[in-house]
Amino acid sequence: MKKTFGLVLILVLSVAIAGFARPGVEEPQELTFAYMSGIADPFMFMIEKGAQAKADELGVKLMTAEYPKAWGPEYQVPILEAMVARGGFDFLIVVPTSTEALIAPLKKIHDKGIPMITTDTYLGDGDYSKASNYSFPLAYIGTDNELGGYEVGKRLAEMIGKEGKVYINTTNPDVSSVSGRRDGFLRAMKEFPKIEVVGIDYNLDVQEKAQSQTAAVLQANPDLKGVFGTNLFSAQGAYRAVVNAGLTGAVKVASWDAGMDQINALKEGQIDFSLAQKPFEIGYLAVEWGYKYLTEGAEVPKKIVPGFFIFDQDNVDDPDAQQYIYQ
Amino acid sequence: MRCLHHFLITPWAVHCGERVRRLLWQEWRNRSAKRVLLFVGERWSAFFLVLMLVVFSLWAPHFFAFKNFTNILYYSTLYVLLAAGETFVIITGGIDLSVGFVMGFVNVCASIVMRNLHAAGHPQAFSMLIGALVGLALGVIPGLINGLLVARLRVPPFIATLGTYGMANGVALSLCEGFPIYFLPPQARVIGNSFLAYLIPGKSFAFFHRPQNLNADDLRALIGILPATVFVTVVILIVFTFILGRTRFGRHTYAIGGGKDAAIRAGIDVPGHLVRIYIISSMFAAVAGVLYVFRAGIGNFTTMSSSYELFAIAAVVIGGASLMGGKGTIGGTVIGILILMTLETGLNITGIPSFYRYIATGLILIAAVVIDQITPERRTISD
Repeated sequence: MKKTFGLVLILVLSVAIAGFARPGVEEPQELTFAYMSGIADPFMFMIEKGAQAKADELGVKLMTAEYPKAWGPEYQVPILEAMVARGGFDFLIVVPTSTEALIAPLKKIHDKGIPMITTDTYLGDGDYSKASNYSFPLAYIGTDNELGGYEVGKRLAEMIGKEGKVYINTTNPDVSSVSGRRDGFLRAMKEFPKIEVVGIDYNLDVQEKAQSQTAAVLQANPDLKGVFGTNLFSAQGAYRAVVNAGLTGAVKVASWDAGMDQINALKEGQIDFSLAQKPFEIGYLAVEWGYKYLTEGAEVPKKIVPGFFIFDQDNVDDPDAQQYIYQ
Repeated sequence: MRCLHHFLITPWAVHCGERVRRLLWQEWRNRSAKRVLLFVGERWSAFFLVLMLVVFSLWAPHFFAFKNFTNILYYSTLYVLLAAGETFVIITGGIDLSVGFVMGFVNVCASIVMRNLHAAGHPQAFSMLIGALVGLALGVIPGLINGLLVARLRVPPFIATLGTYGMANGVALSLCEGFPIYFLPPQARVIGNSFLAYLIPGKSFAFFHRPQNLNADDLRALIGILPATVFVTVVILIVFTFILGRTRFGRHTYAIGGGKDAAIRAGIDVPGHLVRIYIISSMFAAVAGVLYVFRAGIGNFTTMSSSYELFAIAAVVIGGASLMGGKGTIGGTVIGILILMTLETGLNITGIPSFYRYIATGLILIAAVVIDQITPERRTISD
């Protein structure tokens, strides 16, 4: 019995050692990129699609870690650690789910000699150009959420004649991306003294909740002029509430992201405009720069912002615009 | 003698009479106070709901409006369905954590079937019917698993349903790949957002058919009476209130919650009954999932942060059930959900910033249950 056990132990150990030893020894040519997403949602899948497209183009491999079911280091870090334990990749593309809590686990990976780019979200304040304990990633590639929120705010303000009441429906108060959109929107509104922001609600990514919150705000403010839904679920809920209240047209709906439902609502005049990020491009650029860094030792810019595309009722049918729909 | 009578006895008698009268009055007052307390104590949650409606109507402008009350009912439906199923489970002394994700799982399955049939060119009504039926049928599975685990393998309900909670979520996410399901039959959304009757005050009234081609003013004035999804929910609730309150099945449910051993000795098939209870809970979640498809017009998975199950459990307890089992009614649960939704909507309409609203919601809920605990009930008072 003891002998068998010992034998099994040796077998397991040798397999494990072989597993650890493999990268570097074999296949020195084929590069493997790993993608660690933040949560299972369309945006994260689009980043994967973009990364996959560039990987196919370059003939490198992309392995995708399991998508965390919810947003947060407590869900993401175990998946990340398991992936590192399995090993077999040369470059990491990661969406850190916390600006602080992910610093230590990612630093450990960096110290193993695996370079990385953070996408969509960042570590610390996102500025990797000056030395700090979180400046080890090569670059941050992602939308400037604050700027996006600001642009949405400006556009909505123009649309409602620079005066009246507006309302924000967003998902969580503690996530950098949507907080940035909210803050940018609020910054824009400060430039219009006749505009009043009557409230900010947090729907926790539940469309029905976004809808009931917006309905309550419409009830409380019959003279509301504009609504901003800061992501897929917020926007879907907000515009449904406006439609159900019979206020389409009277209440302008600004939206963020470009899911099919939002695009259809745009076509039917139920959403007035929607800011689409370019998640495909984020993934695509991450692989492109990672490849250049690994093969040519290229200098990677510390911050790469792919910009956005704003859908409105005039351009929603343009053939050129279709590439920005998340599908 | 007469004098004596006059000077001593009469005042004494008067004095005594006065005392007796006072005692009787006090006794009567005590009793009626007791009775009032009892009356309120036993219906505390309903009184609390009425109290909240009054307070918000006075405090928040635009709260007291037909449209607002319709909204509260409309947005309560999914929660009410989840909580009604949860009521059955909690009465037996169990708990079902999986309801929120079962709803998402059924939602995704039903909408995928609808989308695919619609894309294959089948009539809309057919696609929707088959999608709904497939969703409801699949909704049995998580309940069956929960029931078998709890009743046959004696897994604690918390763990068993936490297992299906994860599985339902995982299956839903892998089926929809994290995207909402689009391209459903367009009629689905029309049906899901329809009302039993429409009224434009002073102008027109119609059953079932939404007036077409309205101008903006009429559109705003348009009042929908009784949303279709609320109607469906009410019918289901009436049926299950009857089952729980008036049938042998209902009596057995309470008996199991009162004490499993006694229930077994009384000849009740406890394991078989528990399996059915968890299937009922799951089916309620499935109905909620299907209704959600019709309302949103797209398929939505349940996000991790939504905490539907906690909301449902809280409502059942606010409605007077005990987590130890043996107590609870569907009516109470409905009131529990209405309290939660009224609180949320009311506080929102007052315009208090959301972070303070979270604090207020927590405080008011705790207060409601504490008062419920200290007001007397017949059992504790009729010593």
